[in-house]
Amino acid sequence: MTLISSAIASEAAQASAEPKMDPLHHFEVHKFVDLSLFGFDISISNSVLWMWIACGFAFLFFTQGIKGGKQVPGRLQSLVELGYLFVLEMAEDIIGKKDGRKFFPYIFTLFYFVLFCNLSGLLPGSFTPTSQIIITGTFASIIVGFALIFGFYNHGLHYLKFFVPSGIPVLLMPLMIPIEIISFLARPVSLSVRLFANMTAGHTMLAVMFFYVLTLPIFASWLPFGFTVVFTGVEIFIGFIQAYIFTILTCVYINDAIHMH
Amino acid sequence: MISVAYAAAEGQAKSAGVPQFEPSMFEHQIFWSVISFLILLYLLNKHVIPAINELLDVRAKKIEDDLNSAQAARQEAEKVQADLNNKMTSANKVASDVFEQARVEANLHREQALEELAVELEKKKSAAVEEIEVAKKKALADVQSVVVDVAIMATEKLIAKNVTKAVAGKMVEEALQDIEKNKANLH
Repeated sequence: MTLISSAIASEAAQASAEPKMDPLHHFEVHKFVDLSLFGFDISISNSVLWMWIACGFAFLFFTQGIKGGKQVPGRLQSLVELGYLFVLEMAEDIIGKKDGRKFFPYIFTLFYFVLFCNLSGLLPGSFTPTSQIIITGTFASIIVGFALIFGFYNHGLHYLKFFVPSGIPVLLMPLMIPIEIISFLARPVSLSVRLFANMTAGHTMLAVMFFYVLTLPIFASWLPFGFTVVFTGVEIFIGFIQAYIFTILTCVYINDAIHMH
Repeated sequence: MISVAYAAAEGQAKSAGVPQFEPSMFEHQIFWSVISFLILLYLLNKHVIPAINELLDVRAKKIEDDLNSAQAARQEAEKVQADLNNKMTSANKVASDVFEQARVEANLHREQALEELAVELEKKKSAAVEEIEVAKKKALADVQSVVVDVAIMATEKLIAKNVTKAVAGKMVEEALQDIEKNKANLH
């Protein structure tokens, strides 16, 4: 009995002594402060901390950029204006001029929340909040749930026509309506999993490559190291692209709720 | 012992799995992601979006104003140009009028001068003609007196002598020779 347990323990000790490949280490959530509110867990963890840091960066970026509000913009101000107009055009193009303006603050905040969370994970020793499926899932469920409620609010029961594709023979209806419903239900899943999986995959890949940088002999380790350098650039790009996709799909869902198809 | 060891091993195995699917970590992340989003929404909506909106609106207004003033300046310039054109046209007209007048005047002067010249020439011509007439009359008078002289001389001789035809012819010849001789005195 003791033999078995000591064997397991020693095995564990031996394993931890050597450099251990643990590419998912980056995604572990550690609570720093245990808090609870009416029985609800509101502890502060590294995930929450980095979410705040990302929000702080986003807020600082914009407030610093528009400080002074010069008519002839400097570099940072140009960047801020570009970032603002980029999201504004996206919202107005997809949702429409008037409704786009109405939803713009939410879409704007969503884009920069996701973007800065994506990018914050690239800082050494940091954490990527958007690599947590529960966080992307929370946003995706709220967005799709809101779109559903908003659709019914706008159109009443006519919104159910959303699930009935037009121009299809009646005979195909029993097939098409379930497909439409399933595709609607898949929206929050695909929305959350896309962002989560992209962030997780990228950072896992980087972690694996860094492991090889540390373990391979020097004549070979430059190869994975070079790869991490290039791939960090790719990760920045993916951070932008995924924030863009997440936001643009949100716009599409809101547009569906307003204008139906 | 075994159970404890296995629990430990299991715990380790669990942590070696995908950490994102650890349900005990869900609740606080749901809570804080919503709260953080709302706080960021509030901050951006209060401090950033209106500021950028205002900035862009002011710039749009300024650009519009600039365009308008540029338009006004252009119209002004066009007006000035039209004015200038008008002035140029009238100046050209004045210049051509002056030129025309000068030309007319010059023509007048020329014609006058020509007329004067013509009159003077006419005067000179008539004076010359008169002179010639006088000379002619005088010459005629001279010729007449010579002829009279000849006639008188011939008559004298006819009266003085009875002449034959031959003598008479000789005398006429003589008389003519006389005239020939006195020719220089005639003019």
